[in-house]
Amino acid sequence: MSDEKPVTQPVTYLVTPVTRLGLSLDVWAVLTSLLLALLVRVGVLKHIPW
Amino acid sequence: MATIALSSQEAQNPLANVVRYLPGVLLLAAIGFAGKLLEQSINGYAKAHHLIIPNIEYVLWAIAIGLLIANTLTIPKIFLPGIGTYEFWLKAGIVLLGARFVVGDVLKLGGISIGLVVLEISGSLLLMTALGRLFKLRPKLTTLLAIGSAVCGVSAIIAAKGAIDADDEDSSFAIAAILALGAIALVTFPLIGHALHLSDNAYGLWSGLAVDNTAESIAAGALFSDAAGKVAVLAKTARNATIGFVVLGYAIYWAGRGQAEKVKNKGAFLWNKFPKFVLGFLVISLLVSVHAFNKEQVGSLANLSRWAFLLTFAGVGLRTNIREMLKQGVRPFIVGALGEVLIAGLTLGLVVGANALWKL
Repeated sequence: MSDEKPVTQPVTYLVTPVTRLGLSLDVWAVLTSLLLALLVRVGVLKHIPW
Repeated sequence: MATIALSSQEAQNPLANVVRYLPGVLLLAAIGFAGKLLEQSINGYAKAHHLIIPNIEYVLWAIAIGLLIANTLTIPKIFLPGIGTYEFWLKAGIVLLGARFVVGDVLKLGGISIGLVVLEISGSLLLMTALGRLFKLRPKLTTLLAIGSAVCGVSAIIAAKGAIDADDEDSSFAIAAILALGAIALVTFPLIGHALHLSDNAYGLWSGLAVDNTAESIAAGALFSDAAGKVAVLAKTARNATIGFVVLGYAIYWAGRGQAEKVKNKGAFLWNKFPKFVLGFLVISLLVSVHAFNKEQVGSLANLSRWAFLLTFAGVGLRTNIREMLKQGVRPFIVGALGEVLIAGLTLGLVVGANALWKL
């Protein structure tokens, strides 16, 4: 395995999920999206452009 | 690999978190928005001057600008935590994209996707394992490459690393190979798709089945067309949903050989590894199907999803450091590349077959 060198440099950035409430990144993403959907449904967020 | 962890003090203070993530998130937004402006400006110029120029989507511009910055400049540390949030935007974007699918679409395309995913995963695991043995890679590195290429790239490798007690070096090799191959797929897949005149649905399905990392898979789909990007998300989400089962299988295999801890509660293990954003996607899709949102609100949700993906694509470019990938060694990359070419061929055959059967 002479062509495989030990890793000394970062290859990607990973954020450890916020764990204060014991929730994973996935769950935060779902909750945030559902909150946004609720805000759209009740009319707080309107006409989101693209 | 750099893991940017929150100190307990920062975790306690929401304002500190905002300050910590804000610069990088703003950088993602600026790059993504620059990509969108470039697309619009070039198209506007071509239209005004009656020029025929191929439309280069904002996706490619955002990735290209990110790549250029990451590979020519040293990104100040202050931006790194926010850049890492691209995973969050990716998942939020997928959940909100549920607004563009009614349940009927999910059942039809999702059903076809699940059938193809089972074939793709079986074929990929067998292929990568055979190639790993042929090239005499370390067995756990082979396992990580097999899981990464069969299921969902980096997330699957990270999930499997702990479950099979693989070392950091093996997981870094596997992640580097998967990311490098994902970057190549971004360029090659749309070209092949156009050359073969694939339909949006067929190409999106292929991209979702064959490109490993979720962000690159969706970007490769969106580079072909907006509709293809949508289908790529569905196929990739179906593939991601299997992560728990594949990792559990390998965890049991390595525990049986005395080289990993035994899985005590299989149900809890599966739930722990299951990507929860799949459920969020289904919930939004269900709400849209029962008309919980009017047409304009559905449009707003779809646009929120596009903005989330805009940040994601900028992050894909920014975290792709070509120099660092080249440092990871040649052999895992060769195994990965050979495997990916074979998997791309296999999945293309599956998609063409499905297209002939069900007129995708």
